Amino acid sequence: MPLNALPAEGFLNRETELGYLKGLSGLKGSALGGNVLLEGARGIGKTELLKQLYCSLFRETAVVPFYYSFRTGNLKGTYFAKDYFTAFVRQYLAFTRKEPFTGGGAETLQRLLPAISSLGLHWLIDSVDDFQEHLKNSDAYWQIVTAISLPAVAAQQSGKQIIVLLDDFDAAEDLYEKNLGDVPGLITLFGESLQSSLCPHVMTGCAGALEAIFTDRSLIGMAERMWLGPLPEDLALDLFRTHLAHLKITSPPVEQLKFLGILRGNPLYLRNLAKALWKMGKRELTERDLIEGYSYEISDGETAFYWSSALNRAVKNPARRRPILKWLLQFLQDGGMEDGGRAAVIAGVGEAETLEALETIKRLGMIRGRDRVLQDFLRCLYMREVEGKKAGEAREKIEAQYLSKDAELCFEMVIPMSSNAELVVARAVEQIGKNINLDEEYLNYLQLALIEVCINAIEHSGSYDKKVFLKFIMRSGSLEIIVENTGRPFSLDSHKDLPAEEKLRLGIKRGWGFKLVYSIMDDVKIERVNDRTRVILTKKFKDKEVYR
Amino acid sequence: MRSVQFSVSSRVEGDTAIIYPRGYLNNLSGEGLVRECGMYIGKGITKIVVNFGETDLVNSIGISLILQIIEDLRNIEGTIYCTNMSKFLRDTFEMLGLLEYMRVFPSESDALQYLKVGQYEH
Repeated sequence: MPLNALPAEGFLNRETELGYLKGLSGLKGSALGGNVLLEGARGIGKTELLKQLYCSLFRETAVVPFYYSFRTGNLKGTYFAKDYFTAFVRQYLAFTRKEPFTGGGAETLQRLLPAISSLGLHWLIDSVDDFQEHLKNSDAYWQIVTAISLPAVAAQQSGKQIIVLLDDFDAAEDLYEKNLGDVPGLITLFGESLQSSLCPHVMTGCAGALEAIFTDRSLIGMAERMWLGPLPEDLALDLFRTHLAHLKITSPPVEQLKFLGILRGNPLYLRNLAKALWKMGKRELTERDLIEGYSYEISDGETAFYWSSALNRAVKNPARRRPILKWLLQFLQDGGMEDGGRAAVIAGVGEAETLEALETIKRLGMIRGRDRVLQDFLRCLYMREVEGKKAGEAREKIEAQYLSKDAELCFEMVIPMSSNAELVVARAVEQIGKNINLDEEYLNYLQLALIEVCINAIEHSGSYDKKVFLKFIMRSGSLEIIVENTGRPFSLDSHKDLPAEEKLRLGIKRGWGFKLVYSIMDDVKIERVNDRTRVILTKKFKDKEVYR
Repeated sequence: MRSVQFSVSSRVEGDTAIIYPRGYLNNLSGEGLVRECGMYIGKGITKIVVNFGETDLVNSIGISLILQIIEDLRNIEGTIYCTNMSKFLRDTFEMLGLLEYMRVFPSESDALQYLKVGQYEH
């Protein structure tokens, strides 16, 4: 196979799209369309679809496929032109001879000439001569034009349609002659090729970026959009199990694979998770293994590397990385933020800079849809880079939020920071306690602990949104209560554990709250997550505390 | 947990004031309790019985205000007598080390009997 595409059993649920793209040459021939912007979330399988299309067409004879992937290192006009031109020649020869590409991509155009001659492709020799003439004259502009127009020339000369598959096409917007940004708009040189009735184009890229490109007046109206959605749940499971089988990992029963739902049918995430599990030496999976594999993946695995690269591309100034990271995490957690000014305050950077970063991040497709994996990656990165946590600690926290999902019962509530609002929480605890048959007196202690945490938030946080967020998670044998609020960070220093006599002597009567909380609960954790304080209270139940 | 609005009432029996806090003992209600006790302390009453029989929930602010009453009574060499406390309330005071600053009796009558005859039969 000329391109390294997935085997058929690993390429699922894209038959409709593949069929449509294969028919593009017909549409182009009858002027009904023929250029497609293939959009979709990162990792959803756009590149794979192009590769599958390529392989499928390569096996046939009617249409010549040409695949080109834009790379950051090849955006200098002369480099790009040579690379693009040579790639086309090599792929055209391979298609004509029905052989894999020759020479591993290292041959010069000069060395390809005998093969071109042997096939009697004289028009192609003329094109190579033209291109080499532009090289000799160091004419960057004409090198680019000649390279980009080669598929259309080839189609015209051979009478055979050529489908041009441009992967990460949005990167072409950054093509330059000598220095970055010196000649904006070189991408519009693709306009002529796009107009050719013999050359349908399929272009991938981040949705926001592609939209921006095709609003340019020279390209407007030249392409239709095709949205590549996630795999349905059942097919996502099938794909994951196929990956596991290839890696010789025993899949757990379907009910233990529910966790995969957070990957939202993203083939890249599914593949990366399977590989992470393999790297970790997991061979017989449990749900816990999946969660551990996931935390590894978003902390140190390929998914982390993938998103980290995208983030580096968006935020080139390392000094700005932390504030932008903080802002981005907040942005995703809040599900968007209309107020650029507030975003800037949170990020601790200027409003203009925040908006610029937002634009870049949008172009990279980092904020389209609610991608839980991306959020977790950012959260993990934030814990490590901003909060200074070790990788293991950060991973534990990520795992904890999913391990809690296997809880028997979970309630969430929000109370206003107003007088006696904590009583609403106390009532909730009372009802929860009744549901799980907790001893009434024992319930009072839980109420007291929770009341203390709530009034601490209400009194000391100085929160602007004036809300306390609570989550009750009941498992067999324990109750976990998570209390969160924005505002001032919580500090145990302000709650020194003074004995009563000392308090009387010093005239300090407050500061009992957390002493009670620590006395009542089995475990108390206080964390700072972004601009929120999170208190996690855990109580384990013993038999005597539960009515039978 | 009952939904009783906090209120405080009191009566005097001999040289003893008996206070009845009801409902949720927090900052607002705790201040009401301090005021009620303060009224008697101001009159020189050194024996204050607080009957917690109708107090269903407390928070640390409410507890800190009880400390205020203890302090006010100390200044006049008085004592607070707490009665009818639930196990929960008693344990909570114990957790904070407050029991040694108060006398605790199972019932109001036990406290009054003790104050009258100087002894209390368990």
